[in-house]
Amino acid sequence: MKCSWPWRAVCADGVRQAAFCICSDHSNNHADYAGSNRDNDKTTQENTLLMTTLLEQTCASLDMVVFTHTGADRFRPESVLPEWMLGLLGTPHETDGYDLVDAFPFLSCFMDEARSQWQQALSYPVRSGSWIETDLFGREVPLEASALFVNGCEVLILQQLGEKYRAEVTLLQHVRDGLLNQEFLEAEVRKRTGEIRQREEDIALKLISLTSFRDQETGAHVRRIGLYAAAMARALDWSETEVDNIRIAAPMHDIGKIGIPDNILLKPGALNEDEFAIIKQHARIGAEMLSGTDIPVLEMAAGIAWCHHERWDGSGYPRGLAGEQIPVAARITTIVDIYDALIHERVYKRAFDEAEAVAIMRGLSGKNLDPGLLKVFLYLLPVMRRIKDEVREEDEGLQSLALDTGVR
Amino acid sequence: MIQKKICLLGAFSVGKTSLIQRYINSLFSDRYHTTVGVKVDKKMVDVDGQALMLMIWDIAGEDAFTSIKPAYLRGMSACIVVIDGTRRNSFDVALSVHEMVRQQLGEIPVVFALNKADLKGEWTLGEEQLRTLAQLGQPMLETSARLGQGVNEMFMALARRLC
Repeated sequence: MKCSWPWRAVCADGVRQAAFCICSDHSNNHADYAGSNRDNDKTTQENTLLMTTLLEQTCASLDMVVFTHTGADRFRPESVLPEWMLGLLGTPHETDGYDLVDAFPFLSCFMDEARSQWQQALSYPVRSGSWIETDLFGREVPLEASALFVNGCEVLILQQLGEKYRAEVTLLQHVRDGLLNQEFLEAEVRKRTGEIRQREEDIALKLISLTSFRDQETGAHVRRIGLYAAAMARALDWSETEVDNIRIAAPMHDIGKIGIPDNILLKPGALNEDEFAIIKQHARIGAEMLSGTDIPVLEMAAGIAWCHHERWDGSGYPRGLAGEQIPVAARITTIVDIYDALIHERVYKRAFDEAEAVAIMRGLSGKNLDPGLLKVFLYLLPVMRRIKDEVREEDEGLQSLALDTGVR
Repeated sequence: MIQKKICLLGAFSVGKTSLIQRYINSLFSDRYHTTVGVKVDKKMVDVDGQALMLMIWDIAGEDAFTSIKPAYLRGMSACIVVIDGTRRNSFDVALSVHEMVRQQLGEIPVVFALNKADLKGEWTLGEEQLRTLAQLGQPMLETSARLGQGVNEMFMALARRLC
């Protein structure tokens, strides 16, 4: 773009004016322009010199070099090149200026922004962000480029950031050291928490293994119950901790059966009314066994044990709770326990296929089962099926509840 | 001569600068010096008799306060996304950086550098993370700037994909 000299600078007294342009194209024209007034000629030249000196000194103080864009990627220095810039450019001044993009490859990613600034004739600077060059002596020189349009000239300023850069590095280093430390501490907390949870899980497994001596339920069944419940909890957007809790807690729902006499618990035929009243006590017994601690997983397990025979319509036991009075963890456990019982063979029944089981469960919606949660369960049927297929009776063993099924 | 711009991207303190230092100068320093801004290094390589100038851009890592300026990626032919195997967070950053690259530049050659292989006993990356990376369809290489393990191989593998 053509330079639109003159740039009028008002002197300190506000009276006399000097014609001045930073573009060297006009270094010989100033006198002609001012020549209309011969008396002012000398003053004008003095002012031009003054301004030039002022620019030089300002650039030197700010460790910056002013270039004007002369076409393509070539730039002509309009201020004296300081030693550090000479050390970077390496070659002496060329008549048509320097190819700064070749000298500083970083500028290749800035030129689009710079050209946009010049084309729009914007007089405020757009900055490149800092980058680092290495001089002939191997020293790192932090730089920043600014592009602006001044008085018809496409101007590129390169500034050595020096102390400003070093201060920024020091600050950022401090911040990042802090972040690294924080990451390390968080990782350590996660590791320790994992160890504690593993211990909780081991204890839960031991407790569950006690009941498996007493009733017909298999180890695979209790593992599946935990995994189904965890899949439901994840779909409900529970936190990782809560998902882990229900995975461990749900399998403990029948732990109270340990307090039921063998002649009732293992009776092959139908139970009479008195016997059924006794068997119903397993919910309360389980809750009492698991409550009284501050351990969240055991508190959840106590709630599940106490409420997993409650029904959505209030017709369940032991307390006849209804709807959302029943803890959600217990409502989830009820659904997955029924599903697993239906699709597996028991001494008293055949295994239903999935379609039959789903039909039965739909029939229980709003009666035994929370209809909203049942919808979530049915949506997750493919996941449940995968758990059923992967945790089978023949593979059973209570080594771990933390089976990697990919549903976590 | 062909020139290609390669950027090293990733979270802060994953070893981007160290990998470049190892590759260009065969040097390694244990001290962590954070990078502010960008540093461009050059290295001439020979790929099956063809001279190729790699312009290697070391771009300051991402953290909560600093993000990569999209303009820095302009003209990039390939990139190395560096992950610190000992820091789970750097894996998450790598995924978001890779996505940003894909959105800006489409499908360009990318290598995931699983760095700090000399500290493998302390790695927190598990099978799940490695599977996720593998599903992105880009090569992964274990590297150690400290030992020089995998460093030349990584740059050369990328150079070959650019020729």
